[in-house]
Amino acid sequence: MRNLLIFLFLLITNLGFGQSVSAPDSKSFLPSTVAQDASGFSLSGFGSTETLLASISLVNPPTGTTFYLNTTTGLTAASGFTLIGNKTRLVVTGTMASINTALTSLKVNTGATIGNVQLSVAATVNPVGFFYNGVNGHFYKPITATVDRTTYTNARARSLLTTFKGQTGYLVTITSTSEEEFIRVNVPATNVWFAATDEVIDGRWVIDAGPEKGTVMKTQNGQLNGNIPGVYNNWCGGEPNGANGSENYAVAKWNGAACWNDLSNNWNNPYVIEYGTWANPDDATFTEFYTNSVTHTNGDVLTARFNIDFGSNVDETKFSVKANTFVNNLWGTTTNTSRALSGLGKVDITSDLDTTKISDGKRATISAGQVEYSYVNISNGTTTLYIDLRVFDSTQPSDVKLVSILDVYSGPVTYQQTSTYWAHYIVPSTLTKVTNGTSIYVANIRNSGYDNWAFSCQIGFSNNGIFKQHGIDLSYTNQTDLNTLYNSIVSVSDVYLAFKELSNGGIFGNQSGLEFTSGIQYMNADVDGNGIFNETDTYKLLQHLIGVQPINEYSTLTYLMKLYGKSEYDAITKSNWNAQFNYTRSLYPFTLNTGVLNNSYNVSVTWRGDVNLSHSAQQTPPVIAGSSIKNMSVKTMSTTVSNQIYAFIMTEIIGDSVTAYIKIDPLQQELVGTQFKLNYDNSLLKFSSVSYKTKGSPTNYGTDKGDYINFGSLITDGGTLDNTTEYKISFKPQTKLNNVLGLISISFTDAVNKNGNTLKVKMK
Amino acid sequence: MKKLILILLCCVVFIISCRKVEVEPTPPPKVEDIFSVKEASIGNGEQFKFTLKSEGVYTLTLFDSVGQQVVTRERIIGKIGENSLKLYTKSLPVRYLYLSLEDKNSVQIGKTLLIIN
Repeated sequence: MRNLLIFLFLLITNLGFGQSVSAPDSKSFLPSTVAQDASGFSLSGFGSTETLLASISLVNPPTGTTFYLNTTTGLTAASGFTLIGNKTRLVVTGTMASINTALTSLKVNTGATIGNVQLSVAATVNPVGFFYNGVNGHFYKPITATVDRTTYTNARARSLLTTFKGQTGYLVTITSTSEEEFIRVNVPATNVWFAATDEVIDGRWVIDAGPEKGTVMKTQNGQLNGNIPGVYNNWCGGEPNGANGSENYAVAKWNGAACWNDLSNNWNNPYVIEYGTWANPDDATFTEFYTNSVTHTNGDVLTARFNIDFGSNVDETKFSVKANTFVNNLWGTTTNTSRALSGLGKVDITSDLDTTKISDGKRATISAGQVEYSYVNISNGTTTLYIDLRVFDSTQPSDVKLVSILDVYSGPVTYQQTSTYWAHYIVPSTLTKVTNGTSIYVANIRNSGYDNWAFSCQIGFSNNGIFKQHGIDLSYTNQTDLNTLYNSIVSVSDVYLAFKELSNGGIFGNQSGLEFTSGIQYMNADVDGNGIFNETDTYKLLQHLIGVQPINEYSTLTYLMKLYGKSEYDAITKSNWNAQFNYTRSLYPFTLNTGVLNNSYNVSVTWRGDVNLSHSAQQTPPVIAGSSIKNMSVKTMSTTVSNQIYAFIMTEIIGDSVTAYIKIDPLQQELVGTQFKLNYDNSLLKFSSVSYKTKGSPTNYGTDKGDYINFGSLITDGGTLDNTTEYKISFKPQTKLNNVLGLISISFTDAVNKNGNTLKVKMK
Repeated sequence: MKKLILILLCCVVFIISCRKVEVEPTPPPKVEDIFSVKEASIGNGEQFKFTLKSEGVYTLTLFDSVGQQVVTRERIIGKIGENSLKLYTKSLPVRYLYLSLEDKNSVQIGKTLLIIN
């Protein structure tokens, strides 16, 4: 046993466990500034002694953007790279510790070009016998042993039979100078087969494998004859010559030279297998190859990406959004561009945003200088910024809305007052770089005592433009599907508990109702959206349930559905539920002018009419994702056995009638409400009637919804449903039926007891 | 001309009225006895067969393979030998369902997993 544990420990140690690359949060860089901190990437889960291969890259960076590593101890640059200097891509090998140390020293230099600065880090255990090309993100395996050397056609075929990290291999292609150089440096052999041939038409050379297979390289033999512009050719002088009429296959490193020749297929040569079909290393899909990235921005780059949680039973691809702008308290012109949501609820509307700025006061830029024109007081938990009144000229201190202080802070400020010599502003954060010495302008910052830190600086003012406020319109591509979804949300438990809540005093005034406990259900309880929860809402819920008045008949999508950010959702309470939001607003605004420009929103969706008591209520603390529609799904198939009742179904074809019987056994429960959804095949059956066998005076209901019957009972007078309760649902066949199965089935059940607890209905 | 049109009209009506009604044939069952296999895939309107040793009242039950929830149950009169039923899947809520056959004493005679196509 002990040996087994040791073995397992060693196995885990050697294999590594849970390898990953973590990325920092996104941030905004200052334009035209060198050595800006870009740390925050970290590798984890790899074995401490393993040699790793890591790639650091900038993905399509704005002109002038580069990065470098301040610390490279223990690292070796991969082929074609050097450790020193500014880069857009760097591939290194080293241990996890040495790579992580280097990543903490990652710095970015920005140019004047504004844009997204996407940094990507990839890592894997450095595979023996393979070489990684950081330019295209492909692996290469040289086959050079004498016994493995073979003909071109064999090399081409054998390559295709190999796989590496989930990728099928192919005979190497050489499509650029850098790839040629990579092969030259890393393959210790000469006359290396690569995938180029003119075997179909003599002199017409084509790439013979990989993603570029079929690409014509040249149309005539001869070093430069017929070379296709833009397609890489690197033939030796006088080659290809098609000698003997059989030289149809290409080799690189011909006799050790850095150029190509054509040879016959009777040569046994070394070759190289290439793995990877993408052009961009950041698109790599190797297995056990771990990547992560972060998109920073250089300057003010406006982006808006949404992660909308619809829950598991909603098809997000049926939704789309449009961007709108909000200026001077008015919603402006929409872009009229609908962006479809992906199946993961993600949508990026960046390209629809209005990036025209509007005037919004002044920006003060405090840059390094010789005179202490400005200082901050960080005492009393409030950071106050003081700017010397002499520097303002015609600028009014109260007009300053934004400030940039060295590399210490950049963002909005609140004007407080003007004293004898200073204009005072509240800076909404603790300026850590002032005191911890990490500012690159630390020589310009002086501790003048009493938590006052003075800046040797100069100050300039410029007009401040801000981006317009934006909002999104959410649309549904199929209202019928939406209605069907909505119809499945309200259940008998909701109605019963809404009645109960109302009888307890509702959610206004001195409410003693205990049913609406947390989160969004306060708003959802207001079914008709008039800002009041009252008997009208419970009545409409009941109407909806029994099919007399589907709520969606007098509702729009907006009316049915709400988007909330997590912080907004968590802020909803009993006392403020009806004042939180304008419930008639058709747009969902989001803020782009708070200093955060690279916006990514996590949004939850909730549905009006779901009073959220029976199947989606979340007790404190409210959890946004759990309170969304995800928990509103049909629960028929749950295996929970507590709070359970039984129901029995039997169907029969007798004469010209098809009948389903559902009998109830409440077991020990004080059953007050039931609801069933009975599907039927409407191409073969036509609904006739529902009849009820119930004691007391419940509200029995049964409505035909076209392809299912919604039926059940609800008692609100203190009585209960007992084991004599039975429902009989009859259909008339459209054609003669016998010996059939499956025309009718139960797809949803719901029940509630006197205490308002949802009961599981076990279909027996 | 009027007569010609009348004749043509009559011909059209005649041709239409004589067109053979297309009756969709019932697909033949894929297995001889549905309960002789552990699982079977079946589509809407497909027949399945099973064999009984005695005639009488039997029940066929479809229940969810995960939650064991019964979704439908049909009472049938079985005959000795081969019996066949047609399964309609349009109203069934899930794709994987157990089909169970019980006699009048609720003794299970056969059970198989149906994968609804």
